[in-house]
This record gives sequence, C-alpha cells and structure tokens, in this order.
Amino acid sequence: MFGLHYRLERKAIGLVLAIIGVSSIGGLVEIAPLFTIHQTVEDAPNMRVYTPLEVAGRNIYIREGCYACHSQMIRTLRDEVERYGPYSLAVESKYDHPMLWGSKRTGPDIARLGGKYSDAWHVAHLINPRDVVKESIMPGYPWLARTSLASEDLGLHLKALRRVGVPYTDEMIEHASNDAYGQSAPDSSAAEGVTKRYGEATNVRAFDGNAGRLTEMDALVAYLQILGRLTDAATKPVASAEK
Amino acid sequence: MEVDHQTLVWFSKSFGLFYLIGLSLAVVAYAFWPSNKSSFDQAAGSILREEDKPWR
Amino acid sequence: MIGQLTKNERQNALAILIAMAVGGLVMTIGGRNSLLGVHGGLVLMIAVVGIFAMTATLKLPDPAEDRLNAYYDDPTKVGIIISMVWAVAGLFVGDWIAWLLVFPDLTFDAAWASFGRLRPVHTSGVIFGFGGNALIATSFYVVQRTCRARLPDQVTPWFVLFGYNLFCVIAATGYLMGVTQSKEYAEPEWYADLWLVVVWVVYFLLYLRTLSRRKEPHIYVANWYYMAFILVVAVLHIVNNLAVPVSFGSEKAYSAFSGVQDAMTQWWYGHNAVAFFLTAGFLGMLYYYLPVRAGRPIYSYRMSIISFWGITFFYMWAGSHHLHYTALPQWVQTLGMTFSVMLLVPSWASAGNALMTLNGAWDKVRDDATLRFMFVAAVFYGLSTFEGSFMAIRAVNSLSHYTDWTVGHVHAGALGWVAMITFGAIYASVPWLWKQDRMYSAKLVEVHFWLAVAGTLIYVFAMWNSGIIQGLMWRTYNDSGTLAYSFIESLVAMRPYYIARAIGGLLFLLGALVGCYNIWMTIRMAPRESAKADRPEPGAAGAPVLQPGE
Repeated sequence: MFGLHYRLERKAIGLVLAIIGVSSIGGLVEIAPLFTIHQTVEDAPNMRVYTPLEVAGRNIYIREGCYACHSQMIRTLRDEVERYGPYSLAVESKYDHPMLWGSKRTGPDIARLGGKYSDAWHVAHLINPRDVVKESIMPGYPWLARTSLASEDLGLHLKALRRVGVPYTDEMIEHASNDAYGQSAPDSSAAEGVTKRYGEATNVRAFDGNAGRLTEMDALVAYLQILGRLTDAATKPVASAEK
Repeated sequence: MEVDHQTLVWFSKSFGLFYLIGLSLAVVAYAFWPSNKSSFDQAAGSILREEDKPWR
Repeated sequence: MIGQLTKNERQNALAILIAMAVGGLVMTIGGRNSLLGVHGGLVLMIAVVGIFAMTATLKLPDPAEDRLNAYYDDPTKVGIIISMVWAVAGLFVGDWIAWLLVFPDLTFDAAWASFGRLRPVHTSGVIFGFGGNALIATSFYVVQRTCRARLPDQVTPWFVLFGYNLFCVIAATGYLMGVTQSKEYAEPEWYADLWLVVVWVVYFLLYLRTLSRRKEPHIYVANWYYMAFILVVAVLHIVNNLAVPVSFGSEKAYSAFSGVQDAMTQWWYGHNAVAFFLTAGFLGMLYYYLPVRAGRPIYSYRMSIISFWGITFFYMWAGSHHLHYTALPQWVQTLGMTFSVMLLVPSWASAGNALMTLNGAWDKVRDDATLRFMFVAAVFYGLSTFEGSFMAIRAVNSLSHYTDWTVGHVHAGALGWVAMITFGAIYASVPWLWKQDRMYSAKLVEVHFWLAVAGTLIYVFAMWNSGIIQGLMWRTYNDSGTLAYSFIESLVAMRPYYIARAIGGLLFLLGALVGCYNIWMTIRMAPRESAKADRPEPGAAGAPVLQPGE
C-alpha cells in the first residue's frame, strides 16, 4: 500500500514541478533583463520626484479608476506624437509605483496633459465634464471639491515609496503633510519649503481656486498638471517618430 | 554582482529557440512513446465508465 | 449540510472561524483610521455568524460511516449556486457601466457609482466571482470522478470555497470604497492578496492530496489543466502583487516595481491570468464535461497532452504584446509577438480536438442545448485565440490597441468561450448532483442558449466596428497633412455601438437569469426514485459497477 502510494505521489509532484518549470521560464527570460536596463537607457538626472500633494493626487487618480479610460503612454507612432506630443520614454515613469500606462482610450491619452489647460478648466471639467466639453462621456467628480484631503499620513506614504526605490530625503518625509498644504497655499509660510525641497519649477498655486482649504480637488489637479513634466528628457532631443 | 545587460539580452534572445525545440521534442516523444499508448487509451475511456463512487 | 461533518471536523471548523474572528478584530483595531478597519469589521462579522452557526451544531452526532462510499459533493453544489449569483451580479454591473458610457450622468453624484469604481467590480465579479467559483466547484467534482477518490476531508474544501469568496467580497466592496492598487485584473490591495495566497496554498494541497488517493498511476488530463491553473495563478499572483504597505493599519500599499518593469510584470500577469485562469482551468472543464456529455472519449488524448505543454510554455512569453510601440525595449515586444503567433498551434489543437470529439455526435449537438453550449464554446475558443494571435502582430496592434477592438476580443473569449463552457458544465452537473434525470426545463436551457449566443454576437460585432472605426479615425490624415479628426469626434462616432453593446450585454444577462431560475427549479424538483442509489449521472439503472484494475 505504501509503495503504491509513494509511486503515485511522485508522479503528481513531478507534474507539479514540470508545470512550474516550463511555465516560469518565459517570464523570467523577458523580465530579468529589464532590471539591468539602467545600464543602457539614458538617465534623466534633472528628473524630480512627485511632491506629497501630487502623490496624494495620483492616489485619487488610482482610487477613482481613471486609468481604465485614460492611457499615459504615447506610442512611437506618427499620429500619436502629433496628437498627444513626444512619445513616452521609459525613464519618465521610473518613479511610478505602480505604472499607469493604461490599456484603453475611452478618453484621450494624458501622458503630456500637464500645463495644457488652466487649473480652472480642470476644476470645471472634473466637476461636470459636459460643462466644458459638450459631448464628453466622462463621469463628473463634484465631491472632490467638497472633500478635504487626508494629508496627515503622507509622510508614511513617502516613506513606503522610498522603501521601493524613490529617492525621498528625510527632510521631505518629515515635512510631507506641511508641504502638501503649502503647495496649494502660495501665500502661506508653508509654501516656501515646497520650492526649496522640490525645485523652483514646482507648481505652487491654489489649484481649486481656494487657498484656505486643502481638498482632494487640489491634489488631483496638482497631479494632472505635472503629467509629463517631471523631466524634459522627452522634449530635449527632438523626438522623431518611427512612421 | 552586476550581470551585464548585453549578456542577459543576448541570452534572452537566443535561449527561447533552443528551449522551444528541446521541449517540443520531449513532449512529442512522451505523447507518442509506444508503451504510453495503453495508459492514454485507458485514461480517455475512463471518464465514460459508469461508476458512481470512490474506489475504496 | 453541517451534519455531514464529523464532530472532529466541526471542532476544526470552529477553530478556524475563531482564528478568523481574531484576525478580523486585529484588522478592525489596527485599521480603525482607514478603510482597512471597515474590511476588518466585515471579516469579524462573518466569522461571528459562522461561529454561532457552528456552535449550534456541535452536539449533533457523527454522520454515518457510509458517507465515505460516495463522493463529497456538497461544496460543489454550493459553489455552483454561488457562481451563478456572481454571474448575475457581475453581468449586471457590466451592463450597467455599458449604459454609463451612453448616459454618463447616471452616477447619482455618488463616488461609488462612477465608471472607474464599478468597472473592477464587473471584471472581478465575472472573472473571479463567476469564473473562479465555477472552476473551484467543478474541479472538486472532476478530480473526485477522474481519480475515483473522495476528497480527503470535509473541512478543507469549505475553507477553500468560502475563503475564496471572502476574498471576492473584500475585493468588490473595496473597489466601491476606492480600495484598489490599479493593477488591471489584480486590483485588490495587499491584505486581500495575502489572504488569497493562504486560500490558494490550501486549495493546491487539497488537490494534491486528492490526486494521491487515486488508484491508477496515470492522471487524467483534465487534472493537468486544473493543476496548471492552480499553480501558475499562485506564481503570477505572488510576483505581481509584491508591494510595501504604507503601514499595517493602512489599506494602501505601493507596488515594488515601477515604470517599465512594472508594465512588463503587470502584463506578464495580465496575459497569463487569461492563459491559466480563463484558458487552462476551463480547458480542464472542457476535457471532462464535453466527452462525458457527448458520451464519446476525447478525439485524441495525445493531442490534449501536447497542447497542454504548448499552452503552458508559450503563454508565458506572450504578455509583452500588450506593450507594442511603448517604452518597453523592442526585442521584448518582438519575442512577445513571435510567441503569441506560435500560440495559435496549441490553441487550435485544443479547439480542434474538442470539435473532432463531437464529430459523429452532431445529432446530440442539435438536440441537446447543454452540449451545444460546449460546442459553441469550443468554436469561440478557436476564433478568439486566432484573433488574439492576429492582434499580437505589431502592425495590427498599432491599430487595435487602446480601442474597443480589444474589449470586443476579450468579450469574445469571456462570453463566447468561458461563460459558454461554464454554463454547459453547470447544466450538465446540476441534474447529476441533485439526483435528477434532467434539468427542470430543457426549453429554458434552449432559451438561455439563444440569448447567450445573440448577446455575444451583438456585443462582439458592435465592439469590432467601434474599435476599428476608432483606430482608423485616430490615424486618418486630411489632404493638408494634418490629423483629420479630433478625439471628441471619434467619441461621438462610438455612441451607436455603445448602445448596441449594452443591448447585447443585457441579452446575455437575461440568459443568465433564465439559467438561475431553471437551476433553482431543478433543485426544488422531487428527487427521482433511484436517488438512494447515489448515481452521479443518468445511466442504465442497475448497470454493473466496474472497478478497473481489480
């Protein structure tokens, strides 16, 4: 009885090992070289990290499932480059945990949305898209303007991001909540630290038009306005499309 | 230890082909091995037999 | 049903429920400032209800010893019912969001009702809720019959089934509250993912333990496919979901990978979830239910083995075809494309094998809607794998990617192949499981079949049209060399197709509702006379019981 059992077990375990072996190799072969890719891809030394407010905005983008209808990846095709701007480079999403390249364009690509429209346009569009684009089928997000942003634990978020490889400094982590407030309140004392830590070019504005209160609308608009603008690597050498 | 990117890419580009050929040969050999025929036939028919309970 | 459990098993179940309650309590307290706490409360509540139910039955006597002479089918029965409930829920949400694209203001000014939050409820609801439960339920059924062995105990299968559904419920409720990590088809956050790993390991061990109780050395090929489904999904799930939580009191975690590595990892997962969840598992279903229902052995057993290894091997390379012309290195794109095209060989071998099995039983296909469900599934499997290989070609993909064509392709597979084979398997097993000669109404199976076929065809044709029109409009230039259409013009052109798609989905949903009614009425029918004989399938009464190898 034991002999029979043993033989049967061995067969089942053999099948298990064979399945794991045969199936895992393809993925390993394709993914492993991507982790040494930094040896060949040009770096973008001037690339900055997302500010705490932009991180919060990115999380709202994820929470509301915006990626289901908007891609953030301009392919190397002539019509895409002409419609959306220079094609996306690998380095541009190196701080994106997770990446939001998307897979479907029910709405347009927004990899280079930053700076294309005014803050006021974004706020109006998010509250009711059909107020600014009559034919739009995007849902409205009016509650974003009514909801205060939970910013107390943004330091922990930056810390977690540092653990997976984003170069946040101790100072950035320590002042995260304050910087989130400061970025949307240009006249406050907190605003100064934001440009000090994240660069002069950082957008410091009352994104939702109201500097007094930090809302989810502030965060999301701040994120949308930085899309494609963390580095100018894509625009510097004039990107020529592949056809 | 830093593996050279070039080496990894070279391996990735060439390895799949040989692996594919080797695996296909092994699988076809297994499927057509004469002594396996009876157990395959047995297995194919086994699910159609009228049995309604565990064997023990 | 709990009476079937031995005293010992009831105590074990109680211990598990208590552990679960403690876990829920820890989550509630640790996550009191976040949405994690809400899920902790949910877990705690479910565990407490379970504890009360279990305690009430602790005093019951042990069940009769002769239970070991029959297969343990209670988990399969419950699994099939849960699967149908998820089917209706998932299809309803899917059709609802299809209408949202036509009438975008139907969101009641509520966050949970917007497209972005409901879409993963639909995808997870149908893939994991409907498909996953059907796979678990049928795998229990199939592994017992093909091994002629009873499940090794009566607690583990329930743990797998209910544990898996707890995962599904946490996932779906999480999306509504905005808990998602945005990885397509792997949206649940870290704690749900960890829980699924536990459930999945137990599932794997249960399967292995049942296999080791078989008598014949050869393992029937359907089990190979189910095993590949269980194993590879575990590998994919663990790697793709590696993440660092913000804190142990927060529902939010950050993916370990970023940018191009994350893209490749996600589509390696995404495409192989299609391969091993939506293909391998359901092929396991096909290789059991189709031959049994048709009363003929599989056309070529050898072919089923060769295509098994082909699918196991090829699919893993194919994920990168989701990233053509992106920032992913071109050699990876080319590898993905090549293997995707070669994937057609094992895929068509499987579809052909299924169709050749039916060759000679066409009269049954004509008369029996259940078998016709399986036949149509095999046809759609062949069609959508061809379409998939075609769309993986770079030049084709440059047009189809980002458009509704992809959505149409997915639904040709999901509605035409996955749902059809599942409905076929469910209609076949329900009478066997509940000891009936037949379904309550063969007419209603027929009605369901035609609703499903019509719904699928309308859906797929609408999306083909809209996808190709969309892709062409985006790349059309006018005489002066500038883009001819604005994005919004392409969106306006989609509207009629979005309406057609939503109608197709509605038909499919109606079909599933008809199916639910039919299954419910079958369960409520008086069991047939020979019920005590415990025959899993209708056959000549009193036929001699053969014991092979004895």
